Amino acid sequence: MSKKAAKILLVGNPNVGKSVIFNRLTGSDAVVSNYPGTTVDYTEGTFISGKQEYTVIDVPGAYSLEARDKAEEVAVRMLHEHRDATVVVVLDATRIERGLYIALETIEMGRSVLIALNMIDMAHDRKISVDDRKLQKLLGVPVVPLTAITGEGIMQLSDMIRKAQASDVKDILARAEGRASEPAQASGCAGC
Amino acid sequence: MLNSVTQVLNLKMKLSEMEFGAEGVITEINTEKQKINAMGIRVGKKLKMITKQPIKGPVVSTCGELEVAMGVDLASQVVVDVD
Amino acid sequence: MQKEEHPNRHKRQVVQGADMVLNEDQRWSLVDLLAKQTISAGTYKQTVWDVIGELTVKPLTGIPVAFAVLYAFWSVFGSFAGALCTDGFFVKFFDNHFLPWMQAIWPDPNSILYFLFVGDPLADNCFEAFGVLTSGLFIAIGVVLPAVLIFYLMMAILEDSGYLPRLAVLVDTLLHKMGLHGYAIVPTILGLGCNVPAITATRILETKKQRFIMMTLLAIFVPCGAQLGIMLEVIPESVGYVMLFLLIGYVVFGYLLSKIVPGTNPEILIDVPPYHMPQRANITKKLWMRTSGFIINAVPFVLLGVLFINLLYIGGVIQWLSDVFAPVFVHWFGVPKETAGPLIAAFLRKDLAVAQLSNIEMTQYQMISAVVLISIYFPCVATFVVMLKEGWKELLAAVGVLFAVAFIYGGIIHAIGILLGVA
Repeated sequence: MSKKAAKILLVGNPNVGKSVIFNRLTGSDAVVSNYPGTTVDYTEGTFISGKQEYTVIDVPGAYSLEARDKAEEVAVRMLHEHRDATVVVVLDATRIERGLYIALETIEMGRSVLIALNMIDMAHDRKISVDDRKLQKLLGVPVVPLTAITGEGIMQLSDMIRKAQASDVKDILARAEGRASEPAQASGCAGC
Repeated sequence: MLNSVTQVLNLKMKLSEMEFGAEGVITEINTEKQKINAMGIRVGKKLKMITKQPIKGPVVSTCGELEVAMGVDLASQVVVDVD
Repeated sequence: MQKEEHPNRHKRQVVQGADMVLNEDQRWSLVDLLAKQTISAGTYKQTVWDVIGELTVKPLTGIPVAFAVLYAFWSVFGSFAGALCTDGFFVKFFDNHFLPWMQAIWPDPNSILYFLFVGDPLADNCFEAFGVLTSGLFIAIGVVLPAVLIFYLMMAILEDSGYLPRLAVLVDTLLHKMGLHGYAIVPTILGLGCNVPAITATRILETKKQRFIMMTLLAIFVPCGAQLGIMLEVIPESVGYVMLFLLIGYVVFGYLLSKIVPGTNPEILIDVPPYHMPQRANITKKLWMRTSGFIINAVPFVLLGVLFINLLYIGGVIQWLSDVFAPVFVHWFGVPKETAGPLIAAFLRKDLAVAQLSNIEMTQYQMISAVVLISIYFPCVATFVVMLKEGWKELLAAVGVLFAVAFIYGGIIHAIGILLGVA
């Protein structure tokens, strides 16, 4: 219940709906379009969830943390400048692999992470199903499915932000390879 | 006879030289691997060539749910085992 | 330069607190493992959108569609802004009611205040009067506002549908020869609305070289929505020629810049997102934000611009500049020396400058040359400021290029006129 606003960074591939989530959370008017690279600079907004005030920073999309263009450089710079911020990695449920790459990079940085699995409706239309519980267990960080464009799942996302946590890529690798049969109960993700 | 032989033997081909609509599995990415990988185009993935623009224009292909356009020089560095 | 292209390639930072960092291949194989255990895909039937998606990116069908889209864009723009709103309503309202009313109620037609705010007491239309409250309001509200409104509406639909990346693929061949790649169409189209967001959007291009070329071309050859709107009203029969000259300049000077500017020009490598039905709520929101931005930021600028220009006329500054630059204007560019006034206005607002040109007596070809000159000679002050934000060195270099291009191209257009026997 700290009075100080906690910081959140919205990170992910271009055109996965970060700005839509940002607008939904904060009630802001960030420009949203259907082409990669709509957001080329960061935008800040705030919202309150469970008595905690959050400052959300909408970051330009990046395919990886090895910046390719100037907009991606802004994204990488924001991650380095806000070391105490919780990172919400936004994935497009229809193109999840590419998003997982930058999610792993973020986890490897030792950041406190939460995965927002966006565009569930599109995935449904395209007959793609994502086992979000399983993904959560494998990654050891909370995964929230949502459809930002309709607002579905946004409430859950804002409730879950405080449960964001760091994970260890060594453990993720072990679980993914089936070497550690049970998920990291000890790390506290059983409750999420 | 000949037909059945070509059906068994897969053909390695540059993405830039594939026929419209041809499909195959990516076997090599020779330059800018990191950049191309980051877009989701990777060795071992199934790829379908959609179209290419005239006069050395970019090549458009789909890879699963992804649709990516890349310049013809980049596409000539992506080798595909065509079905 | 080299460093700028690949900032992190050789010095990947290992952040404290991380226990283990994977290399690229290891990370991708972990991604595969995770994906295999969590994603299952059923058989997906192509929708009509997917089919349209393919048709609009294949050259045989895509190129005609691109022309059709751009033509539709232009004709809706012209008929809504020009014919329906401005000619159909605002011209009648301002010329027949508002102007006579202002001329009647404002005291003392010989006073300085009358000249500043109402303008010419004998004027019978709002282009000639040139007072802050007559021409200023007419240009801002009557001509430019409907133009930017309809332009932003269509641009929002283009942006939200997912068409822009496909257009980028189709124009890549041409743009790659200009030191850019196809995705430069995004800042270009944004620039046709307003150059300010377009300059910021150049960040989607990878190298300094590409960004510099794009920024310079935007500042010189891409007219903004406000300017398009006023051109449609003032010189409807010549807009096509102006646009042709600007397009030729965009391509030719882009090509020359790509040869001169050092640096690399990587090929296009972009995502082509699936089409979406544009959502009405998002379109309305964007339209409202951009239009209200125009009303808040641009309208006062137009009014202040008229005031400023009128003050310069009273002070004799414009007459003086006209005389000083007369040889250049008359002999090199082939336009009347009075064009000096609009060129000063162009720094504040391009729309204002074009409106002012309509009051100068000249031939159609001179008018075309003058409008092209106004477009290319200098960016408006708002564009100038955002360019400064992207880097002062680039700005200085861009301004250098800009003066050279304006001088050379202005001369060439004059020469073409002489050859065609119309100048």
